[in-house]
Amino acid sequence: MTLMKWTLTVAALSTLAVMPVSTQNASSGNPLAGNADAIRFGTALYRARCADCHGMDARGVRAPDLTQVWVSGRTDDGLFKTVKNGVAGTEMPANPRMFDQEIWQVLAYLRTLAASAPNDPPKGNAEHGQQVFRANCATCHRVNGTGGRLGPDLSRVGASRTRDMMVKQIRGATEDFRPGYEPVTITGSDGQAIHGVKKNEDNFSVQIMDTRERIQGYQKDKMKSVTDDTKSAMPVYGPDRLSESDLDDVIRYLQTLRGFDPAVKQ
Amino acid sequence: MRTTITRLGRVALLAVPLGTVALAQQAVPPAQVAVQEIVDGLKPDGSRWLTFGGNYANHRFSPLTQITPDNVAKLQPQWMFQTATLGNFETTTLVRDNVLYVTGPQNMAWALDARTGKQIWRYRRELPPGLTACCGLVNHGFGVLGDKLFMTTLDAHLIALDMKTGAVAWDTTMEEYKKGYASTLSPLVVHDKVIVGVAGGEYGIRGFIDAYNAQTGKRVWRRYTIPGPGEPGNNTWSGDSWSRGGSGIWATGAYDPDLNLVYIGTGNPGPDYHSESREGDNLYSCSMLAIDADTGEIKWHYQFTPHDVHDWDSTQVPILADITVAGQPRKVLMTANRNGFYYTLDRTNGKLIVGKPFVQTTWAKEVGSDGRPILLPGYIPDEKGQFTCPDITGGTNFWPPAYDPNSKLFFVNAREVCATYYAWKPEFNQGDRFTGGAAQRARDRNNSPYGALRAIDPATGERKWEYKYINPSTSGLLTTASNLVFSGDAEGNLLALDSRTGKLLWRYQMGATLHGTSPVTYMLDGKQQLLVPAGTTLTAWALP
Repeated sequence: MTLMKWTLTVAALSTLAVMPVSTQNASSGNPLAGNADAIRFGTALYRARCADCHGMDARGVRAPDLTQVWVSGRTDDGLFKTVKNGVAGTEMPANPRMFDQEIWQVLAYLRTLAASAPNDPPKGNAEHGQQVFRANCATCHRVNGTGGRLGPDLSRVGASRTRDMMVKQIRGATEDFRPGYEPVTITGSDGQAIHGVKKNEDNFSVQIMDTRERIQGYQKDKMKSVTDDTKSAMPVYGPDRLSESDLDDVIRYLQTLRGFDPAVKQ
Repeated sequence: MRTTITRLGRVALLAVPLGTVALAQQAVPPAQVAVQEIVDGLKPDGSRWLTFGGNYANHRFSPLTQITPDNVAKLQPQWMFQTATLGNFETTTLVRDNVLYVTGPQNMAWALDARTGKQIWRYRRELPPGLTACCGLVNHGFGVLGDKLFMTTLDAHLIALDMKTGAVAWDTTMEEYKKGYASTLSPLVVHDKVIVGVAGGEYGIRGFIDAYNAQTGKRVWRRYTIPGPGEPGNNTWSGDSWSRGGSGIWATGAYDPDLNLVYIGTGNPGPDYHSESREGDNLYSCSMLAIDADTGEIKWHYQFTPHDVHDWDSTQVPILADITVAGQPRKVLMTANRNGFYYTLDRTNGKLIVGKPFVQTTWAKEVGSDGRPILLPGYIPDEKGQFTCPDITGGTNFWPPAYDPNSKLFFVNAREVCATYYAWKPEFNQGDRFTGGAAQRARDRNNSPYGALRAIDPATGERKWEYKYINPSTSGLLTTASNLVFSGDAEGNLLALDSRTGKLLWRYQMGATLHGTSPVTYMLDGKQQLLVPAGTTLTAWALP
């Protein structure tokens, strides 16, 4: 009897506790949605805090296209939590110091940019894209635990970058290097050049991964030269090397990927 | 057992001559720290370091000469002390009678045996939840007088600890922390007073400087850094904006015993970025104040950045010296400001002698002969964003500079960084963050940030040399009579340079930066010690 009473009380309390939360979970949860002042403040906040990665137009640079998030099914409340808590295992930081109101302001602004339909309708053949990827990209890029390490892991890139951004990267139209992938050439005292990407650096040393995936630190005063390269270690895949249809296929393949899950299934 | 005795015997025999010298140099000091010891600053016997900047003039210049440019590369670690807590050192360690007194993060503090780094006592403050300290739960170090150490706290108290035990002797509330007040600076002890201030420029506070009786903790005077209604300067704030205008105090000042003036730099006006919320010059924000130590009366003020809209606090550590400018002996105050200009002021009257950029500045062309900056277009941030140099952290910041009275060079860790500043009208809720904008650092390839340790001639503002860092350093400095300057870089290297040329002589990877801290140096049993706080670790170095 006592146990049952307890169970009932706990169940009642749980219901009470859960109810307001589930109301908050509704997709129209932004209390500042459509508020003109909030949108204005949100614009400036967005530019100062978010635009570096998500782009001034929110269409994504190093981070996902935010104009697509609602159309892809995310809710205000879910996005609020993403801004507040960050995304583990990615470059998206938590923002514990942002006030709730500021986050809602940013989301109110982003809502004004939201696409009504996906602006990258899927095209291309993912299966053929995977073959193209294996032949051209997998030497340097890893997907789901397989492939090279010189370039960034691409297991999640299709879910977090716009088609436009991926096209620019592949066609060689971007100039920014992601931290950890800045190209560098080290010339040893024997005149031998080592090409690689920079993992860390100070006035006295540089830590790199070279094109053979050897990770190694070098003391600058023992080297003939350490030079920042201006061209990415990633070759330019122009239409001569990668046809438009192969490009569509490889991007379609990347868009099917949802990230690498390292959990061991027994 | 026998081996031990034999070893001890040998050590004792060897130690006799050294010990005799050490005893002659370092007699046991009186139990109480006298006012005169503090006034005297650093002595050639190297027995003490009793104020934040080493002396009242904040030179961070040690007369010790055992460690030299020729032998500095032979320095060896003697011991390490780890705080075993979250957060990093931003402190200057005090030294007396072979004991170190050091404050750490979260208002922890220790007395350590200088010979071994072993703890003698530890103080830990129970901090309330909901602290508003904007920029880390840090502390910049103790002040000392008599048998008491003085520490400001993150909940805006000033406390006195018994030097022998770490027990609290008195605890006084400066202000209510829930209203956005906090305190992190190292107290300045002048005669029988402890002079401190409050931070909170991002939380709509009204800043002040307080003097407390060192014996009792009772307040002797308070000087608001923003004049109230009816006081001169109140009309430099539109409407009632003065009442939440910030202008906090979070860096230790300097003191001139002859003039009996305390010099303290004030923080930014609030809200930080939104110009229309507080039209006017906003006195005495972003200023140097010269204050009568006995009464708290402001004798003069110099405002570096009238109507600041970039969060450029003037809470840099001022340095005092007597130098010759254009053939005339002058009593000066030197400071490199967060706004990107270096200043030499006449410290008797606050008049400008030199005002010159020490980093790239795009907001003001120059400092006019009237002491006011000559502004350039694009000074005011807006909702679209204005690109301005320096960035929000500034040309330099709170990390202490140093000064060599022999070569008459001023040393500072400078930053070359720009930013896009945004502003919008903020709502004011007491105790909440109140900034009205934000800033985004430029870091594209055309505006790649870097830093440099720069030596500046205070008579002209000219740069004598620089040592470049690939990333801006936030380390404080120490210089010595043997032509050394110690610094740290942004990657955790401890550096020793020749103070005459900027040539790098020695480096050691500490595993953490010297963010906001400075090394100190002192003599211990005949050997010069270099004490370096970095991250959560204190390391003592000496020659073999």
